[in-house]
Amino acid sequence: MSAWAEIVGATHARPGGPGDAVDGLVPRWVVSPGSVAEVQGCVRAAAAGGLALVASGRGAHLDVGAPPRRLDVLLRLDRLGRVLDHQAHDMTVTLEAGCPLSLVADTLARAGQWLPLDPPRPATTTVGGLLAANLAGPLRTSQGRARDLLLGIRVVGSDGCVVVGGGRVVKNVAGYDLPKMHVGALGTLGVIVEATFKIRPRPEREEAVVVACPTASAAADAGLAILDGGVPPLWLEVTGPGELAEGPGCGAAAVVGLGGLVEEVDAGRELVREAASRRGLRTTIVSDGAALRGRLADFSVAPAAGVLRAATLPTEVGPVVETTVAAARETGVDVRCLADLASGIVRIAVAEATALPVLLKILRPALERDGGSVVLERSQGAVKAGLDVWGDPGPGMELMRRLKVTFDPSGIFAPGRFVGGL
Amino acid sequence: MLLAPLVARLRSIVGVEGVIDRPEALLVYECDGYTLERAAPEVVVLPRTPAEVASALRLLAAERIAFVPRGAGTGLSGGTLPVGAPVMICTSRMQRIEAIDVANRRVVAQAGVVNQWVSNAVRAHGLCYAPDPSSQPACTIGGNVAENSGGPHTLKYGVTTNHVLGVELALPSGELVALGGAVEDRPGYDLVGLVVGSEGTFGIVTRATLRLVRLPQAYRTFLAVFDSVEAASEAVSGIIGAGLVPAALEMMDQLIIQALEAAFHVGLPTDAQAVLLIELDGPVAGLDAQSQRVEAVCRSNGARELRVARDDAERATLWKCRKRAFGAIGRLAPNYCTQDGVVPRTRVPDILRAIGAAAARHRLRVANVFHAGDGNIHPILLFDERDRDEVARVLAAGREILEACVALGGSITGEHGIGVEKIDQVPLLFGPDDLRAMMRLRAVFDPEGRANPHKIFPDAKVCVETRAPRRQVAL
Repeated sequence: MSAWAEIVGATHARPGGPGDAVDGLVPRWVVSPGSVAEVQGCVRAAAAGGLALVASGRGAHLDVGAPPRRLDVLLRLDRLGRVLDHQAHDMTVTLEAGCPLSLVADTLARAGQWLPLDPPRPATTTVGGLLAANLAGPLRTSQGRARDLLLGIRVVGSDGCVVVGGGRVVKNVAGYDLPKMHVGALGTLGVIVEATFKIRPRPEREEAVVVACPTASAAADAGLAILDGGVPPLWLEVTGPGELAEGPGCGAAAVVGLGGLVEEVDAGRELVREAASRRGLRTTIVSDGAALRGRLADFSVAPAAGVLRAATLPTEVGPVVETTVAAARETGVDVRCLADLASGIVRIAVAEATALPVLLKILRPALERDGGSVVLERSQGAVKAGLDVWGDPGPGMELMRRLKVTFDPSGIFAPGRFVGGL
Repeated sequence: MLLAPLVARLRSIVGVEGVIDRPEALLVYECDGYTLERAAPEVVVLPRTPAEVASALRLLAAERIAFVPRGAGTGLSGGTLPVGAPVMICTSRMQRIEAIDVANRRVVAQAGVVNQWVSNAVRAHGLCYAPDPSSQPACTIGGNVAENSGGPHTLKYGVTTNHVLGVELALPSGELVALGGAVEDRPGYDLVGLVVGSEGTFGIVTRATLRLVRLPQAYRTFLAVFDSVEAASEAVSGIIGAGLVPAALEMMDQLIIQALEAAFHVGLPTDAQAVLLIELDGPVAGLDAQSQRVEAVCRSNGARELRVARDDAERATLWKCRKRAFGAIGRLAPNYCTQDGVVPRTRVPDILRAIGAAAARHRLRVANVFHAGDGNIHPILLFDERDRDEVARVLAAGREILEACVALGGSITGEHGIGVEKIDQVPLLFGPDDLRAMMRLRAVFDPEGRANPHKIFPDAKVCVETRAPRRQVAL
């Protein structure tokens, strides 16, 4: 204990308890460094002792990933919580890893801007977690993912050195794109301590139109037609049966987020209405589009035994939802579905843990055969035991193994949490 | 010298016409768009398929021979200069667009497919491939992936890496590995994101799965004329500050304006100090309101004239000027070197002053045509390559401009890459720990360092090997 106290101070190191568990594994210590230098000290100490370390912000997304093989230190980065630099006119923001997204949002809102990434639990999601778990929400449809907005990064590597990748300007091809290495790596290649993002003007208005549909397939078809129209939606989600109170009642829906100037929103609303009426579908306008979007973003953290994330082509979203609903009905389990249509991502919240392996077995082979995937995105650790959380990462696995060995030779960073047991 | 048997075996893989080794034929390959340094490869291999690329690389792997990949040779940082690599693998015969999926907006293109062909192939479906470097009628997808190419429309649409979903990479071992693909979010590390922009040092990209975007419903394209570069720069900041994201926001200075007018006679004001080419795109509905904001910002920053393209033909003319600006430079000097640097966009006036000062110090003429909205500058340094002293001054001024970019918080390259040109400036941005991490990453893909060696990294050992030939061929 005293070794950690020496690095971060006695008040910021304590023994781990059940509340600190990662997938059921209780860390021996919980250590909260207050500076990048202290993070370096912690990593060096972990490396020297051959200890396994899992980095965390406020613990909002520790249910993502496979259970760690070992866990000695939970490294809490929430003390590194500052907005370091907001250049409103350059449209960039530099943030410490432990900075919560709600603070980022408040800071940028003062300049009429936003970081258009909207994962669940924004108040407790930190920048580091956003990047490491590659979190995204409905805005992904039009704004891209973290990888598309991340300009630069600082990471503490397994030797304790701080490595810089990218920069603070919006366009930069100097050297390899090291920031990409850490996005979605779940902290298995280093500890992210700082990140710079490109930011955007926040749309002046945001509303949503709910198109009530008899089936998820019909909703996906209507959604694809809307995506092909002349007014690109800010976001577009397809919900399975019974997911939304607004509009569809017990049916499925295409939920279209519209953002921008008043004129653009007006035009978008007309386009959605036309597309719906051509199909004989009913629409409901939701004036607070951002609030509805926030609720949809929270889908994957709503109570469930587990959430599966299937990835397919946009045109296959409807069929995948239908297949899932049918399979669930056959096995007598409750599922709820929500899809990001343009990205081809279908989330399936499953009520009972025993149904997870059954659904994985039905969905995964067909999707993987076509280059897609099914990941057990979230569940309790006990549920994950014996399940392949990630599935097949494809032909790149050997390179990924080499990447991990190269950057974390002694396996101190979240061993076992990532694909293929990395 | 390569052994004759090896060349014969390469011929047996790619066909007789697919291997070039006559010295006079190799002259074409001695440089790319960066002409200050030249070196011809010993042999150029032109595979017809990804499988032939892999076969050729397996052969080279067995002999431990280094190679340099090349597409159309339009690169601007000497990335295809063979330095310590006797074999050049040129993807220009791999020209097939293999699949077009309109409904899902995906295209699979072989590495040698020309950028513009992709958009041409899908335009009838109302789609396009967004990254549009100025060289898009010639540059290849493979080269774009290697360099993470940009272009004028990246301000709104992003650069190559934002549009590549998958690549097939021929590793230096000769193994073909498919990374990513048409479906997003494959679990695992973002290897595709690492390959894009790796400048051919991880292997040779043989195919890419690209994301297409919907063509906008409408455009509004403006030419705003200013009496000072500062006023134009303020207008750029003002437009961004007004919450607008134009599709493009380009600046041209007086020297370029004059050259363009001499070349194309489109009525550009040759006495203006700067013009902005501003393009809005998107749904018709919002464009008028956005246009009014752009006009108001330009006027309040002293634009003396604001032209709006009235139709597609006028829009095409304005863009022709921008995209052919480099061609028009030929009228000003026998040779030119296009620099590429980035500053935070609010520092554009500062970097333009620094460029002017560097030009004056080294007695050079410099024209500026660049992506002002991104802060991505492209000073064009004019010279005559027969004047060795002038060439030396061009190199010195280029270095100073890049140093100024870094001092202003920017980068030494926004879209051209490091290649050989900027190796010496890399330490301005990255320290030893950062560079060591990058070299380790490279070794994951290319443990023997045979793919495009002596690029990007200012390695101490490399200096000894490259300096002599570089100086020799360059000056």
